[in-house]
Amino acid sequence: MSGLADLKLGFIPLTDCAPLVAAKSLGFFAEEGLDVSLSREASWATIRDKVAVGALDGAHMLAPMALAAAAGATGGLTLDVGPSLIAPMALNRNGSAVTVSIALAEAMRAADPEVMTEQPVSARALARVIAERAGQGAAPLTFAVVFPYSMHNYELRYWLAQAGIDPDRDVRLVVTPPPRMVEQLRAGDIDGFCVGAPWNAVAVLEGLGEVLISASAFWPGGPDKVFGVTEAWAHHYPDELRAALRAMIRASAWADDPANRQDLIDLLARPEHVGVAPEALARALNDEIVFHRDGAGLPRREHALWFLSQMVRWGQVSADADLEAAADAVYRPDMFRAAALTVGPVVDPAQVFVDAPPQLAPLFEGPRFDSSLAKRYAAGFSIGRARA
Amino acid sequence: MRVLVIDPDPARAALVAEGLAGVHPLEVRRSERFDEREAIEFAPDVVVIAAESPDRDTLESLREASQANPRPVVMFVDRSEPGLAEQAVRAGVAAYVVDGLAPARVRPILDVAMSRFALTQQLRGDLAKVKADLESRKTVERAKGLLMKERGLDEDGAYRLLRKLAMDRGKPIGAIAADLLAFAGVLKGDAS
Repeated sequence: MSGLADLKLGFIPLTDCAPLVAAKSLGFFAEEGLDVSLSREASWATIRDKVAVGALDGAHMLAPMALAAAAGATGGLTLDVGPSLIAPMALNRNGSAVTVSIALAEAMRAADPEVMTEQPVSARALARVIAERAGQGAAPLTFAVVFPYSMHNYELRYWLAQAGIDPDRDVRLVVTPPPRMVEQLRAGDIDGFCVGAPWNAVAVLEGLGEVLISASAFWPGGPDKVFGVTEAWAHHYPDELRAALRAMIRASAWADDPANRQDLIDLLARPEHVGVAPEALARALNDEIVFHRDGAGLPRREHALWFLSQMVRWGQVSADADLEAAADAVYRPDMFRAAALTVGPVVDPAQVFVDAPPQLAPLFEGPRFDSSLAKRYAAGFSIGRARA
Repeated sequence: MRVLVIDPDPARAALVAEGLAGVHPLEVRRSERFDEREAIEFAPDVVVIAAESPDRDTLESLREASQANPRPVVMFVDRSEPGLAEQAVRAGVAAYVVDGLAPARVRPILDVAMSRFALTQQLRGDLAKVKADLESRKTVERAKGLLMKERGLDEDGAYRLLRKLAMDRGKPIGAIAADLLAFAGVLKGDAS
């Protein structure tokens, strides 16, 4: 084998695997001289371990999972050799949502009909339901997220806490893989969840759930998945990495274009990709997920610092940890820019090459995140577990 | 020692459980899915889980919860055996052990699990090959029949012609037979 090599990339069946799937299916990887095989994986832990040992060259990843080890989080790598993960590209912005069972949505409306008409809706009606249940001695409500280190975990916790609900005490939080969320909701094992597309729409279309708040209402333009590789791999294969990033940047631009929407939906609906009904995929793609525009592919330091602030807030990472160092070790906008430089006109230079980031949108009912004050921000919430 | 085997593939789980029963005085339970209630009731010392089980993330979150609220399962990290964890990942097995369990006691369990995973993979490969061989033999029989009918050859003559074509083109005889049948189909108007 000479020149550019075969690559094996992993993904989880979620809408935001689109940049990988489209780059492969549309031949963008091949045009870069890469022979890529995609491997559909069943869990984030397996993705992380396979990338760590080199059984996968790179993968679709939860951004906080890539950051956790660098920040000294306790649920780190399985392997003591602990190769550092880096994120040279963001795959999408937004895409997740909080969904509750129809029964719980009805109970919330009965408890506080007015709050339930707010846009975006708060969890205050839920707080009343929780208080009523506690008064009756009922079991706590159970909510599922996809992984301890995930946007979904932090989004749900943040939203609950804004309404005075302590996610560690007032509800039971469990981890459930995305493709199992809907069946667990149906079985009544869980009362709600925060998961990425298309699983919220699947629950709605099956008449099992109601979406309360989507990520784009929680934090417009907020971060979600990344493309992750090990630092060692990036060091040994800089040309392959740049080629792969170029292919995925082109795929992201393609995936964002409304003219390609139906093709993208058909592609993702295939059983070897996400394998759900096209109607369910269409929802988040229509007005929720952003893959490319507004510089969405650039892994932004401010986003890494927000994730890290939430790890501190919820006690996953010590407040002594060097958050800036962790963010800079993992998030590599320099690598994204190096690839974007040679990709051609699909990249908007004003979004990708300008250092001063556009001001971040404020989060749901909260203060605007100032990335230079991440620790103070983490300690500034009335509900949290920040530990020194 | 109690070992819980989680594997969505029941046949392979049975093979692992059987292998484990032979190596240790231990109690093995297997399940296609991880159920927290069941796990708490069984109180395993080791959980062996297939990498293709989505329940890995659920198991992993128990480790996370152990910070505030002690839980029994932590990840298997064996510093004394470099490469073992990597081997396990490549084999498609992950192991989680109860905190405080000596890594040396887990080694034989993981070894058995990995060898059974490899065995399953080999059996699957063999089965696929047998199926392919069978398929190829059927194709050759049909191609022979076609040649006998169209060219008026006897069975032996038809086979020798196929074999010659295969040798001339450097392709397996099954592939030549399949090509022949496909082209015959086109000539008869089966496909366009």
